[in-house]
Amino acid sequence: MNPALVVENLAVLLGDKALVRDISFTIPAGGVLTLLGESGSGKSLLAQAIMGNLPAPLRCEGQVAIGGQSTAAADQSSRHAGWGRRLALLPQEPWLALDPTMRVREQILETYSLVGKAQKRGARGLAERALASLGLGDAARKYPFMLSGGMAQRVAFLATHAAGAPVMIIDEPTKGLDADRRGEVLELLRAAQAEGMSLLCITHDIWLARQLGGQLAVMLDGAMIEQGVTAEVLDAPRADYTRRLLAADPGSWPAGQAASAGDVVVRVDGIAKSYAQHTLFAGVDARIAAGEVVAVSGPSGSGKTTFGNIVLGLTKPDSGQVERASGLAPTAFQKIQQDPGAAFAPRIRLRQSLRDLVELHRLDWSRLEALLGRMRLASALLDRLPHQVSGGELQRIALARVLLMKPALIFADEPTSRLDPVTQQDVFALLLEHVRASSCAMLLVTHDADIVRSVASRRIGLSGAT
Amino acid sequence: MSTPHTVSSDLVVIEAPRRPSLGQRAGIVLVSAITLFALFGPWLVGIDPARQQLERYLELPSLGHPLGFDQLGRDMLARLAHGARLSLSLATVSVLSAAIPGSVLGLLAAWRGGWPERVLAAFADAVLALPGLLLVLLLSAFTPGGFWPLYVGISLALWVEYFRVVRAASRILLASPHVEAARLLGFGPLHIVRRHLLPELLPRLFTLMRFGFAGAVLAMSALGFVGVGLQPPTPELGVMMIELLPYYGEAPWLIGAPVLLLFLTLLGLLLLAPEREAA
Repeated sequence: MNPALVVENLAVLLGDKALVRDISFTIPAGGVLTLLGESGSGKSLLAQAIMGNLPAPLRCEGQVAIGGQSTAAADQSSRHAGWGRRLALLPQEPWLALDPTMRVREQILETYSLVGKAQKRGARGLAERALASLGLGDAARKYPFMLSGGMAQRVAFLATHAAGAPVMIIDEPTKGLDADRRGEVLELLRAAQAEGMSLLCITHDIWLARQLGGQLAVMLDGAMIEQGVTAEVLDAPRADYTRRLLAADPGSWPAGQAASAGDVVVRVDGIAKSYAQHTLFAGVDARIAAGEVVAVSGPSGSGKTTFGNIVLGLTKPDSGQVERASGLAPTAFQKIQQDPGAAFAPRIRLRQSLRDLVELHRLDWSRLEALLGRMRLASALLDRLPHQVSGGELQRIALARVLLMKPALIFADEPTSRLDPVTQQDVFALLLEHVRASSCAMLLVTHDADIVRSVASRRIGLSGAT
Repeated sequence: MSTPHTVSSDLVVIEAPRRPSLGQRAGIVLVSAITLFALFGPWLVGIDPARQQLERYLELPSLGHPLGFDQLGRDMLARLAHGARLSLSLATVSVLSAAIPGSVLGLLAAWRGGWPERVLAAFADAVLALPGLLLVLLLSAFTPGGFWPLYVGISLALWVEYFRVVRAASRILLASPHVEAARLLGFGPLHIVRRHLLPELLPRLFTLMRFGFAGAVLAMSALGFVGVGLQPPTPELGVMMIELLPYYGEAPWLIGAPVLLLFLTLLGLLLLAPEREAA
């Protein structure tokens, strides 16, 4: 039997610069290969090159064979005919790829009848059976916005999978998901594997890699630096970089120390918030003191971000009170946002944005320079627009911007959920270092229980009451 | 809104400054040539557009008079130059006086929310329900042939789209994380408008204004054509067209001149569009 996917000497080039190079691997029928690496290591480019949808300025070289049919990697359109039938891609955050104006069953049906070429009547039965098998029988008549995140993910998976492609490329399937949702994703992938599908899984998630088993390849700067059986690579990494990557996983961070709490910076008494008929939380009390790292925990949709925004004064609670310690400047409460790319004025160079801030509060530019230096950021980065800077760098610039204000409280809302593990560890180390050094309080929202365990000194639970 | 040119989720490519496309360059050439003609044409031709020499009735083009004479023996090039100046400046003024209040009101509505927004939106919808030309006709009925009703009417019909576009875009921007961050950092409304809203809004306003300008020139010509707008002997492009229509058979270049000028103006404006239109 032919191997499901063979890639030989694949390279992706921009001009004469190789962004991805010397990639060779084989995925046997029914096998799994997990690609592990940090942002910018070229994982997604590799997936795009295999699919044949690299954007225009990029070229690729090498050979790609799907189910024994070999094509030149450069001839990208030769692989388009096989999309969905022989090779499928489950994109990042796949629920965004669902058509918001179509009912679930129709979307799935479309794949069966248009891509899979099943007869109209047969397709209906197939779609319904497939939906039922994933526990989506009741969802068939719903629109995507009526689904929970987990259900939407299963629908997107089904739509990708419906035309029966034997090889599936999966891009960051667990990005930003909490433990329950990660478990669901794993179940889906395992079920696909049990049906004989071959998977190429691109991820930062070491836990997922371990659970999937099969083969593992580690990417750094566009090259594969280590490849082998997953369990062996994870247990006995040979490359330095792999060891660092594994150490950066929150699962292996040291447990947090109890912080010595100082004066209370904010008191929250009996606050409640609901949207329409849905009560997010009610009767929540909290005291947050200088030097503390307080995690807000609760299931998704329990209003963790809303709680933080109420503490900051961005959102008004329906009832209850938020009282800041007296003598704090109006700008003493700051926020680190989930998506650093959206936290800066998009068409203004970073230097201008920061200079505006320095001028507004008559601050000292050299203090900012010093902060940026401690964040290991080159000053030249500031001459770029926000979208021209990587997520990790931008988040550190956001952190420097917040620290410049000498905050009494920082609300960090999923500050690293869009960053890879090495960058995540980096950002957290800097965040904690400065929170401790300046004895400011931190309110943290994260879906990652390991981060809470390692970083937080205390937690506030939101029950997710309905 | 142009999306950042990101090749993949984890690779950021620094884009080269975009050069104007061939179409854009053609648009720039056309629009500047017509603007220069409208600004300096009347002075360069140096002939009174209203001076009648009845004996030169429909005289053929000659070296000294490249477009010949019209049905009343007036120099056609002089009339075209004055017509271009009048039509284009009236359109510019109308568009600006629609765009500025429309955008300011849109911004205020988005910022303030609540009942002021609802009142403004209801008013905008009411204006929108009237066909624009009807509004101008209505105003012109009070002072036929005047400049002011034409100008006020066109602005009144046009401001709504600026209001709606600016309000919709500002609402999204005002709810974005970067505006939230700016507020927490202590920035006031002026800064947020200048750094966070305007850079996003201006490309869209520019697009709207180009279309609005084309619309205003056409509306004025149409009104002139049906005899409600400016009255003869004012050299306005639409008025000229209606005056010259009967002579189409004998001297087609006469009516052809204002038609071609209008066509080239609109073509130039549409070609100015960036390749991937911002709005």
